[in-house]
Order: sequence, then structure tokens, then C-alpha cells
Amino acid sequence: MSAGSSLPYRLRPNKAVDRELFLSLLMRLAPKLALEKYHYVGLGGPFLEDFRLVHGRLGIAKMTCLEIEEQVHKRQIFNRPVATIECVHKTLEDFLDESDFGTPAIIWFDYTEPKAITTQIERFARTIGTVPIGSILRVTLNANPMSLGIPASKDLSVEVEGEASEDRAVKPTIQEWRLARFKERLGALFPSGLTADGMTFKTYGLSLLRAMKLAVDHEALSYRDRRVVWALATHYADGQAMVTAAMVVAPQDDTEIEELVKGWEFYTTTDAPHRLDLPALSTLERLTMESNDDAKTKLGFELPSTDMGTDPFEVFRKFYRIYPHFSRVEL
Amino acid sequence: MKQSTDKAQASPTKQFFVSMLTRDISLDDAILDLLDNCLDGAMRIADGDEVDYSKHFVKIKLAKDQFSIEDNCGGIPRDVAKNYAFKMGREPDDDRDSDTETIGMYGVGMKRAIFKMGRNALVRTRHDNDTFEVPITSEWLEAKNWDPLPINEPTKASEKLPQPGTRITVKDLYEGVARHFENEAFENKVRTAISEHFTMFLQCGLKVELNDKPVEPVRVEVLVSTREDGPAPFVFRKIIDGVVVSITVGRNTSHALGNEEDEDAGFERDRSSATAGWTVLCNDRAVIVGDKSRLTGWGDGIPLYHPQFAIITGIIEFRSKRADKLPVTTTKRALDTSSNVWLESLVKMKEGMRIWIDYTNQWKNQASSEQQQARHWEDARPMPLGKAIEAVAQRKAAKRTDEEGIEFNPKKNKVLPEPPSKTPSSRRVTFSKPAEEIRLVGKALLDDENAKPGDVGEKAFDLALAKAKKRGG
Repeated sequence: MSAGSSLPYRLRPNKAVDRELFLSLLMRLAPKLALEKYHYVGLGGPFLEDFRLVHGRLGIAKMTCLEIEEQVHKRQIFNRPVATIECVHKTLEDFLDESDFGTPAIIWFDYTEPKAITTQIERFARTIGTVPIGSILRVTLNANPMSLGIPASKDLSVEVEGEASEDRAVKPTIQEWRLARFKERLGALFPSGLTADGMTFKTYGLSLLRAMKLAVDHEALSYRDRRVVWALATHYADGQAMVTAAMVVAPQDDTEIEELVKGWEFYTTTDAPHRLDLPALSTLERLTMESNDDAKTKLGFELPSTDMGTDPFEVFRKFYRIYPHFSRVEL
Repeated sequence: MKQSTDKAQASPTKQFFVSMLTRDISLDDAILDLLDNCLDGAMRIADGDEVDYSKHFVKIKLAKDQFSIEDNCGGIPRDVAKNYAFKMGREPDDDRDSDTETIGMYGVGMKRAIFKMGRNALVRTRHDNDTFEVPITSEWLEAKNWDPLPINEPTKASEKLPQPGTRITVKDLYEGVARHFENEAFENKVRTAISEHFTMFLQCGLKVELNDKPVEPVRVEVLVSTREDGPAPFVFRKIIDGVVVSITVGRNTSHALGNEEDEDAGFERDRSSATAGWTVLCNDRAVIVGDKSRLTGWGDGIPLYHPQFAIITGIIEFRSKRADKLPVTTTKRALDTSSNVWLESLVKMKEGMRIWIDYTNQWKNQASSEQQQARHWEDARPMPLGKAIEAVAQRKAAKRTDEEGIEFNPKKNKVLPEPPSKTPSSRRVTFSKPAEEIRLVGKALLDDENAKPGDVGEKAFDLALAKAKKRGG
């Protein structure tokens, strides 16, 4: 597989936290929406971990796993942890086009391919009108700005904090160059007024989420029976930078779902996603940080700050409950 | 027959006006109409002189329960308010704008916009030192008669506007309108529309704020080389029927499309920027931006628009002090395509397009066409219409037809880069294969399972070619 999608979760702690957040959202909504009767649709990868968890935590029985590569599809059938998972050798899009949902669905558009971003956003947005009300949709998008292309450095100028290279007037900066490509790629979905500042490693994810939110809002204008309640947005990088967003397609006059979502401790909207950037810790460090209010003093050293520039102590404090713990098991 | 004392009523009803007028305008156009009025105000202040737009602001707010637009563009004089501004339609004796380049001519913009949005509106204005307000209420709207609207005086100092200008607020918004005003995608649409249609004014310093955030202009530009023999756009200027028509067609800054890098779900997506295609300006208003339809000549004696032409930008400007001479319709965002000035211009527009359509045809099957072209275009800079004409006019090859008139054809003057061999024997080979098989071949040939499908295909072809040569030769 080309993108990072085949890496197991134990090597991707941030993705694991991201998934736990989504499961936590589902757990919160489960009693209100009776999620056990929902239809879960996703891409399971060779090991179908998400499916095992969704089934285990929520008791959802009706599940469909899509896979386009035949060998992986066969492997999924072999690895299937629950017999009620239907493994289908198809694209998610084809499956959605060919299905009529009798019950509300939970659909995870787990996109990793950065080049088809416009089609992915359009597809996600369009789905809010085609699923039964009450459905929960989640999207993952590749948020690596390098995926917009890598220009030759001789074609670029540099400007940092007021200082600029001599060719500044005639050549774009890397961010300006990316902005032009982003505009080309998004076409009509481009958020008006977006500037080159939104094209850095740290900010590109936000720009992408903004484009996605606008596309969904635009689609929502066409429906009077439903509205979109945003619940969770994340931005993380385990190698590949990714953004995710999840929402509930609620009835137009709903207030209860919205209240439930807004009262949730991890409630976030697309303009301020959780930055999942957790430090790699030894078991002793982890236990110390969990059991002490002032972990920094207790440890007596700084933890390296990460790519996204977040404070590792803060991030840990926020997500320690769902921080994954992996250990070696000999079979 | 002889005349009786009975009379048949023939006066229009308010209901008719409100529903007819609002039916043929979209909500975003209604907002732009109000912005147009602000600009006409700024032009009246300048009174024929050049307008200093950087002195003016327009603040627009969209919310679920209220719409407002506020400017400092001079306000409405009391006698204009009394006699003209609130009338449905323009009076023949209203000669306010006979010598300014405004665009309003029917006298419906403000009323139509208000009726489109809601049932209660308040127009507060200050002209010089005279502040007053005109409420348009739902009671007035529902009443059968055409009583004049009241004009209220301020009673407190706080009711005065701080500087000459106008503030319009609309409340009791219609359900659908409220739903749009609280929707972020709609706000984005309006922002884009303002940045496109009012780009010239924004570039001249006009400050427009939408929901407290400034609107940035979209730049519609073509590439011009400053070298005498460097690549340049097609340029044409002439006075037709008292309208100054300026045209340029050239290359924009977007990349040539269709390379494997950007392949998207197997389709050739149209990723053309908003400014590819035709932009039509009338007295600095962009009436149409990036049109790619039959309206501007595509598919009419030349090919239909296609992503291959995404690098082509055309700009045409009509300028006249007589608004009725301009080829625009009442909404100011559509063209009157039957006017003579438009039809005559269209011939030249197509002439310019043909040059660049040929250009993209010549380059489309060239290997690494992007890099080869880049050399020629290296010193070219993006320029808006006026600057592009100015730059090209300085070339010796530019033809002067009369005092205003100018014409430059880059193809006839041989300044366009040509591919190394003009009749390339290269043909494009395309095919689709499953991703896992491409990875397998990529690994076998390039020791890289993530190699670009195009590279893998090319290497596979090279291999087959070598084999074929060995066998055949």
C-alpha cells in the first residue's frame, strides 16, 4: 500500500487516539440513537480492527467492509473477527451508489489518497442527503501539504518575518505556490479569502477542513428535513498528516442530539480540531504522568515538542484516558 | 362607442411588484445590487472626477435574524429620497447620473433587494448634515394603496450617522433567506462573488467587509513578457457606438493540466481556476467572471470549453458614461448579447481565443511540455487588462488603428513559443491497470513500488520497445 494506511495501530498512537475519540462519540450517542441497530460501513484494512471494536463496544451486528484490492479482500474474509461482517470487493463509492439504507448508518470515509481530494470532499458532502436521518458520517482526509506538489527550489523565493530573498517580487514562496495548486485542485470548493498562511504543515489541515465544511454546508442548504451537527474534528500526524471530521445528520428541528454532542468532553468543530500529537513514553513515564498533577517537575526533564508544535504535557493531560497502551505478547 | 363614467382600474398592485421583481433575482445578486448602489454613491460624490475608493467602506452583515449594509458613500439627498429613490422604477426626469460612469438605470435595485429578503426594512441615511430614515414596514407592504413612505427625523443625537452615508437594515427575514444568511457556504459564495465582481474597486482601495472580515479582490490577469519578442497576449481596443471596448486574451498563471501527478479518480477533472475563460467588465464592474460557456463564444465556431484550455484567460471591458449603451441586463450580472457592441466585440474575442486554442493544441502532446514552455515564459508577469494593453502598446509591432484604437496579434507577430518540432510524431499512450499490478511492475522495473504509474508505464513501454527492435532489426 502506498499511503500509511497499512501500518498497524500500535505504530500509530495518534491514529489510535483518533479512533478512540470517535468510539467515545458513538458511545455517547448510543443510548439516544439506539446505535446497535445501525449499519456500520467502513474500510477495515487487512485486520478489521475498527470492526471488532465497533461490534465489541456498541453491539452493532450489521457491518459492511469495503476493499478494492482483491488480495486484501481475501485476507479480510480470512481475518474476519465477527461472522456478521460482510466483506465486499468494491469501492466505498460504488457500494453507496448501489445501496438503499433501510436503517441509519455509520459511514467512515477513510480516505488516504491526497490527489483525489476534491472528489472525496464532494462525495462526503453529497452523502448527507442520501442517508437516513440519524446517520453518523465521518471523513478522514490526507492533510499533507507536500501532496500538492514539490516545486524546484530555484522557482521559489523565501520570506520569513519581514526578511525576504531578492527574488521575492518575481517568484512565489512555497506557501503561495501551494495555494495556487490548492485552488486549482479544489476549483469551486475553494474557500474565498484563504491565504498562503493556510498552506503550512501546521495550517493546511485547517484549510482542508474549512473547504470540507463549506462543501457540506452548501449541500445542507438543499435539504429542509435535516441539518448537520458537527461533533468531532481532529488533526494528527503519524508520518502522514491527516484530518478527520465527524457529524450527525440530525432532524431539522432537533435540539437533543445537538445538546448531547455539545456537552461531550471532546466536542470540537472543524475550525478548531483537536491536535493529536502525543509523546512517545516509557511505561514509567506514563504512570508518573498519570498519577501526578505536576508531572513536569516530577519528571525533571522536558519532553521533545512535536511536529505540530503542541505541548506534550498538555496533550497527554487531555487524552490520557484514551492513550493507547501497547505491550509485547509472546504467542 | 362613447366614453362612460366608469373606469377600469389599471394600477399595479404591490403584490405584483414584490413577487415579480424578486423572482428574477437571486439572493446573492440582490446583495451585490446594494453594493452597486454604494459605489454609485461614491461616484456621485466625485462628481465626474476620479473616485478615491480608498476613502470608502461598505460593511455587510448576514445573520439569521437580520441583514445590514452600511457605507460612507455620501447618502441620499432629501429631495432624491422624496421624489425618486423609493419609487418603483426610474422617472424619465431623473437625470442624476448623466455624466458619471454608474451602472444603475432602472431604479429597482434597492427595493428589489429589500423585498427579496424580508418584511421590515429601515433605510437610514445622511447626506451632508441631513440625517433621516425611511421605514418600509410589513403594514405598508400589505396595504392595498400606494401611500408614500414616511420620512422620519432623528430625535436623539445617537440616531445620527457619524458620517455621510447610508445604512439599510432588513428584519423579519423570510424563512429561506434566514437559512441562507446563517449558512457559512452561502457567506463564502457572497464573499467570492464580491471579490470577483468588484475586483477593480477592491484593487483601487475600496474596503468591503462581510461579517467583519475584509473581502480580498480576485485578480484576473494575463501573462505579458516585457521583451520586445517575448510572449504576449492578443490585444484589441476600439470605440464602438460610443463605447470604448478593450480586449485581451492570453495565458494565465495556472499550470498546464493533464499530467499524471494530478490524476483524480480516473477522470480528467476540470480544475480550471475561476478566472480561466472570459471576464466581462462594464465601467469597472465585473459583470461576468471566468465564463466558459457559449455566451462568450465557446462552442460557437470554435471548440467548446475543455480543461485543455484552462490556461486561457480573456478579459473584455466596456466603458461609457451612458449606462444604457453598455451590454448589461437589469441584474447587472448578465449580458445583453443582442446588442451591437457585444456582437461586434465577440468577433474579436473569438479571434483572440483561436490563437490560444491553437497554442494549447500545439503543446498538448509534447513530452515534458510544462518545463519546455517555462523557459519562454520565465520573464512574463501577470498583468490586469489595462496594464497588459499598456505594455503591449509599447511594442513596435503593435498596430495603431486610430487615436484610441490598437491591435496586436501575438501569432502574426511570431512571439509565441513553439514546440521544438512543430509536427510531433509523439502520440499519447494511456491505459488503466489495477494499482496492485502497477506496484508489482514498479517494483520489478524501478525497485520502487510507489513509483508514479506514468513512469512505470513508460519504462514498461521502453522495455517492450527494446525487445521489439531486437526482434525486428
